[in-house]
Amino acid sequence: MVAPVDPADPAGAAADAPPDVARPGGWAAHRWKWLLCAPALTVLILAASGPLLIVVVYSFLTPGTLGGVTWEFSTDAWFRVFFRRDIFDPDVVTWNTSHLAIFWRSISLSLQTTLLCAILGFPTAWFIATRPPHTRTIWLFLITIPFWTNLLIRTFAIQEMIRNNGTINTLLQGLGLIDGPIQMMFTDFAVLVGMAYVFLPLMVLPLYAAMDKMDFRLVEAGYDLYASRLMVLWHVILPQVKPGFIAGSILVFIPAIGAYVTPRVLGGGRTMMLGNLIALQFGQGRNWPLGAALAMLMLIVVVGALIFYLRTVGRNDGERRV
Amino acid sequence: MDARVQDAGIRGEIDIAGVNKVFGQGAAAFHALTDIDLTIATGEFFTLLGPSGCGKTTLLRVIAGFEQPTSGSLRINGAEVAGLGPNRRPVNTVFQSYALFPHMTVAQNIGFGLKMLGKSKREVEATTADMLRLVQMEALAERRPAEISGGQQQRVALARALAPRPRVLLLDEPLSALDLKLRKEMQGELKRLQAETGITFVFVTHDQEEALTMSDRVAVMSAGRILQMGAPTEIYNAPVNRFVADFIGETNFLVLPVASVNGATATLTLPGGKPATARLPDGMRPATGADVTAVIRPEQAAITGPEEAELTATVDGAVFFGTDTHLQLTLTDGQPFVLRRQNRPDQPPPATGEKLGLSLAPGALRVLED
Ligand SMILES: Nc1ncnc2c1ncn2[C@@H]1O[C@H](COP(=O)(O)OP(=O)(O)OP(=O)(O)O)[C@@H](O)[C@H]1O
Ligand SMILES: [Mg+2]
Repeated sequence: MVAPVDPADPAGAAADAPPDVARPGGWAAHRWKWLLCAPALTVLILAASGPLLIVVVYSFLTPGTLGGVTWEFSTDAWFRVFFRRDIFDPDVVTWNTSHLAIFWRSISLSLQTTLLCAILGFPTAWFIATRPPHTRTIWLFLITIPFWTNLLIRTFAIQEMIRNNGTINTLLQGLGLIDGPIQMMFTDFAVLVGMAYVFLPLMVLPLYAAMDKMDFRLVEAGYDLYASRLMVLWHVILPQVKPGFIAGSILVFIPAIGAYVTPRVLGGGRTMMLGNLIALQFGQGRNWPLGAALAMLMLIVVVGALIFYLRTVGRNDGERRV
Repeated sequence: MDARVQDAGIRGEIDIAGVNKVFGQGAAAFHALTDIDLTIATGEFFTLLGPSGCGKTTLLRVIAGFEQPTSGSLRINGAEVAGLGPNRRPVNTVFQSYALFPHMTVAQNIGFGLKMLGKSKREVEATTADMLRLVQMEALAERRPAEISGGQQQRVALARALAPRPRVLLLDEPLSALDLKLRKEMQGELKRLQAETGITFVFVTHDQEEALTMSDRVAVMSAGRILQMGAPTEIYNAPVNRFVADFIGETNFLVLPVASVNGATATLTLPGGKPATARLPDGMRPATGADVTAVIRPEQAAITGPEEAELTATVDGAVFFGTDTHLQLTLTDGQPFVLRRQNRPDQPPPATGEKLGLSLAPGALRVLED
């Protein structure tokens, strides 16, 4: 695809620039009115950046013996995020492979969850968007029902389905399809299923919103111009619901990478994710600086992934620029 | 698969026989099309004209394949197309809303149909370039639909529909969103494109002037039926009923008593007592003395001196239309009459209340079947 407008084009830039005129009583008068927002802004800034700042600071301190921190500068936490010293010889430094494995599992499972949610969410959203308008509300309502139930309870419900003598295994064994139970609990698969189940509505809702806005006449235009169903899906529908996919992926990926309850219950201690690792440091691990450093790392990963994603997928998107 | 558009060299046509379209069922059923019989010749500029909601779009959608007729048969180029989807018919549509793909450039939009037909990249590019030239959009080929004007979008929609060289092009009020000047320009452009490509055009409009100026033939529709079909002159000069007479152009309706009937014409008595000859519709023989409705177009009467006057009228008002003036008159028996007179500097409009003598053009008066 070719970008139709060169962003570096100075003529275009000049044309786009707002008239730089400060009319008396116009912008000049408005300039200080933002101060009226100051109380709200102050609360927001303090509430949003205050805790974050504490986390940053803590990640550069020394752990206290019973948790907490002692106010002594140290980069040890950041060091231990990635590396490990040999117990017997502190000069031997190796990669902290268990951390790296958890990073990798978190990223990979979150990506898989996002993909699974997209694959399951598209037909679901499509189904809702193509119902008669008055019944759509009911379907949307049904989609949001799981949100009403406590996450922990929903996760235990999944556990009940997939554990060794749970519903699925009992059923399969009863039908004689398998001899022994399939081990599903405490695997990456269990975590993936659980997270996809929990986060699916977060994909369906923005997808539905995009489809609802979609111009179905374009679908007709596609058919009129000899496109098959598959081609209409690929060339007409998907580009139109792309903003929904982008929003949905972000909404799923971000909570997925920090998921705590689902990997905790379904993955057990073996398939830990970043959220569990961080919680561990603040709990039994009694290493708050390491926990803080890991939390910061997660933030960096998420923001980085977000920027990368929007740069690659969101670029050159005709509808979004308009 | 490609055969359906490849043989554009052979001239095709549309045959519609006994087509009905019913939306909904039971008590909610709505008859959108009733017994449509229609043959459109190859290379014809055929216009569907009618008021809003009369079923024009529905008929077009049936031809395109977006709607299946409830009953009846539809042939395109002699082949029955019932059950074929829109992507299997050698028909393209210029949608009223244009329906350009917003995420594609102008060039990609135009090339889409060819790409879907599996044409080679080279062929797609060559035809797209031709089409861009045809609609004079070469300079904007890399823009997106949101970055061009309404009139330009309309031309792209046209080019996109023409690019696969369909046998038939369906146009659903493609000019309704344009301002008058652009509209006139596009009307000319459409005629030119049709002449250049030889493609059969089925054009929908509710603008009667547009229908009359552009079409080879016009079908006037009302409430799901075709009331009259014919050349624009035929529709204008010989409307078959009151609806057509009223819908196409301006018309004076006069209720007049029959003095005598002689074959295809009748002598009617005008207000004031003078006789006038009027053409009767086929098969109508009104009784002497009965009242009939006769029509005459506003430009088919003229102001004359009192000696030749067939009618006498009082001026109620005058409306200036630029090229001509519409005089609102009242006849001696109280019936309203509109007269259209070309404006000339030496003929100032008569004053309100002035009495005028009128003469009717020979053959202008027609009796209507009510
Ligand atoms: N899908 C549908 N379901 C029920 N009724 C419909 C449907 N589509 C059209 N109709 C009805 O059929 C009638 C004809 O509609 P159509 O769109 O063909 O009118 P039109 O002549 O194109 O009008 P306009 O000039 O306003 O575009 C209308 O009364 C409309 O309400
Ligand atoms: Mg319509």
